[in-house]
Amino acid sequence: MNDFIRYTIAGLTLGSMYALIALGYTLVYGVLQLINFAHSEVFMTGAFGSYIVVDTLVGGHGRQNGFMVVVVLGVGLITGALSGAGAAWLLERVAYRPLRRRGAPKLAFLISAIGASFFMSQLAGKLFNRQKNNSFPNFFDNRVLFSIGEADVRLLQVIIIVAAVVLMFFLDRLVQKTKLGRSIRAVAEDAPTAALMGINIDKTISRTFVIGGALGGAAGFLFALFSSLSYQMGFFPGTKAFAAAVLGGIGNPRGAMLGGLTLGLVENWSVMFLPSQWTNVIAFAVLVLVLMFRPSGILGERLGRAA
Amino acid sequence: MRQRSLVKIALLSATAVALAACSNSSSGSSGGGGLTGGNSGGSSSGKTYTIGFQGPLSGDNQQLGINERNAVELAVEQANAKGDLNFKLKYTEADDVGAPATAPPAAAKLIQDDSVVAVVGPSFSGATKAVAKNYADAKLAIVSPSATNTTLTSQGFSTFFRVVPPDSAQGTQAADYIAKKGKSIYLIDDTSEYGTGLAKDIETELKVKGAKYVREGVADTTQDYSAIAAKVASSGADVMYYAGYYSGASLFAKALASAGYKGLAVSGDGSKDAQFIAGAGTSGESWEFTCPCADATVDPNMKSFADAYNKKWSTPSSTYSPEAFDATNAIIDVMKGIDGDITREKVVAGLKTVNYKGLTNTVKFQANGEIEKAIVFLYKVKSSKLSLVGTVTSQI
Repeated sequence: MNDFIRYTIAGLTLGSMYALIALGYTLVYGVLQLINFAHSEVFMTGAFGSYIVVDTLVGGHGRQNGFMVVVVLGVGLITGALSGAGAAWLLERVAYRPLRRRGAPKLAFLISAIGASFFMSQLAGKLFNRQKNNSFPNFFDNRVLFSIGEADVRLLQVIIIVAAVVLMFFLDRLVQKTKLGRSIRAVAEDAPTAALMGINIDKTISRTFVIGGALGGAAGFLFALFSSLSYQMGFFPGTKAFAAAVLGGIGNPRGAMLGGLTLGLVENWSVMFLPSQWTNVIAFAVLVLVLMFRPSGILGERLGRAA
Repeated sequence: MRQRSLVKIALLSATAVALAACSNSSSGSSGGGGLTGGNSGGSSSGKTYTIGFQGPLSGDNQQLGINERNAVELAVEQANAKGDLNFKLKYTEADDVGAPATAPPAAAKLIQDDSVVAVVGPSFSGATKAVAKNYADAKLAIVSPSATNTTLTSQGFSTFFRVVPPDSAQGTQAADYIAKKGKSIYLIDDTSEYGTGLAKDIETELKVKGAKYVREGVADTTQDYSAIAAKVASSGADVMYYAGYYSGASLFAKALASAGYKGLAVSGDGSKDAQFIAGAGTSGESWEFTCPCADATVDPNMKSFADAYNKKWSTPSSTYSPEAFDATNAIIDVMKGIDGDITREKVVAGLKTVNYKGLTNTVKFQANGEIEKAIVFLYKVKSSKLSLVGTVTSQI
């Protein structure tokens, strides 16, 4: 039982990061019916952007007091989100908008996405380094906050889950309640009609990228804090988050959240019974099983209707 | 306009020539590397002999080659300066980029140079496999400071020697050590060729010892180690051995600390790297490493070597530098004992019986070229610095 709780906590931590990344895939898919394969590099940009700022602030100064830890975490999350948003905005401008203007076929977008992904990853490798295990400065003590049974819950796990839940809550409100949210849903539902109703499609698409990028960038910060950062760090979390978005129902933000958490939990639970080499096999087997019975994901597709 | 572009071209070509001259003179001062190294062949009548080095001096793995090259050159320089040689010693090098495909031309360069009487290297096992036969045909001795693949000494290469023990020795000794340290062992490999090979050797010995263990593979591309760390922590294991490279090991160390693992954590030569400490931070504290490599920067007995190296190259000696130093000095020791003209054949014969006390080990070879005494060192992270505990056998 203690083991079960332990893996569940680890699964929720990982899953909430997947969910944040998955939202970027799903939002863009909603408005463009396009898988933004460069989103994993937006995630990586968020990690490096926040790293530069956090390292300047507290690099080499050892552990900080409680107040500073909160400040640095806030700064890291915000700079991560800003770098991610900036990268996503630029990506849309450079890699997608010119194609859209010329009415390019769907396949051209895909190639453009893959090209942008390679470019960004290699650029980061050139600008920073090609080490696989760069870490954030060790500015806080990842201590045990409380225990459930014998399973310890650590500070970092709480930070990640709380940050992810808060961000997801705001995103959900944004999509449901605000004017921007309504235009995003309208474009997802039927872009030409939305344009007739006076919605600026270009602007809406650009803003959708920015929102998805901000969430992905924030996830990049959290993930780098939790694991490490490198120019190739986006690939696996990106692939998993994409799978999570499909699992929950691509185009559906709540589906992405649910899909991310499910995938994180399944991955960690599987380790209880099987050697950890099987983790990815189990994760994708679950994906296939779900899609066999619910081809459009757990909560179904369509940003407009289901959300 | 035309005039000015001509001037520009002239200036450019002048700079190019000057640059080329610079690079020539620098390679000249580093002991006649490059194409000019062949010239030393003409002076063999004046009793000048050359020790060659083959290893990666460019490409992804050049650092290892440079670590060794620097030590070889230092040894040659020291031998000349000491003044007890009745011949003059020169140094030359051949860059094999560390790859089997590029090794044969590098080897050919050294083989065709008649002044070369022995070679230190090749650095890598793959490159060694590709050229050991060529060297054997040329009756030219190769003494590798770092080719550890177990099978190299079982293929009948008649002129191959190495001053480091094979991979299997590390596995065996590491297994003996962890079996002594703990009742319940968790053995993890990073699924790379190196990691699985080492883990297999450890597993074989653990079975012999009848130790209780669990083995599991975790791909080195993993970024989230929390699940496997939780599994290790809750398994009740009191020793964990990670067979893999430092990038995975450092992430795993962080996850293990978070999971509250209290037991001993040991890893192998692939993780013994400053990058491990940089990545793992305080979580890497008290991790131990088994390594068939000596580390002159932490071993007090090698201080004079470390200082001389640092002075000559303005950089601290690193992985396999002491081994390359020993290999070179063993060759020089053999050359000193030869009466009359020194030939390649005489050096090979001399190496078969050499007994030279080096920094890392006593250089004495078995009939197949394997070093007689397999020494594996144990290192430990103390206050975020690597320190030498001693040989593994002394800890068992």
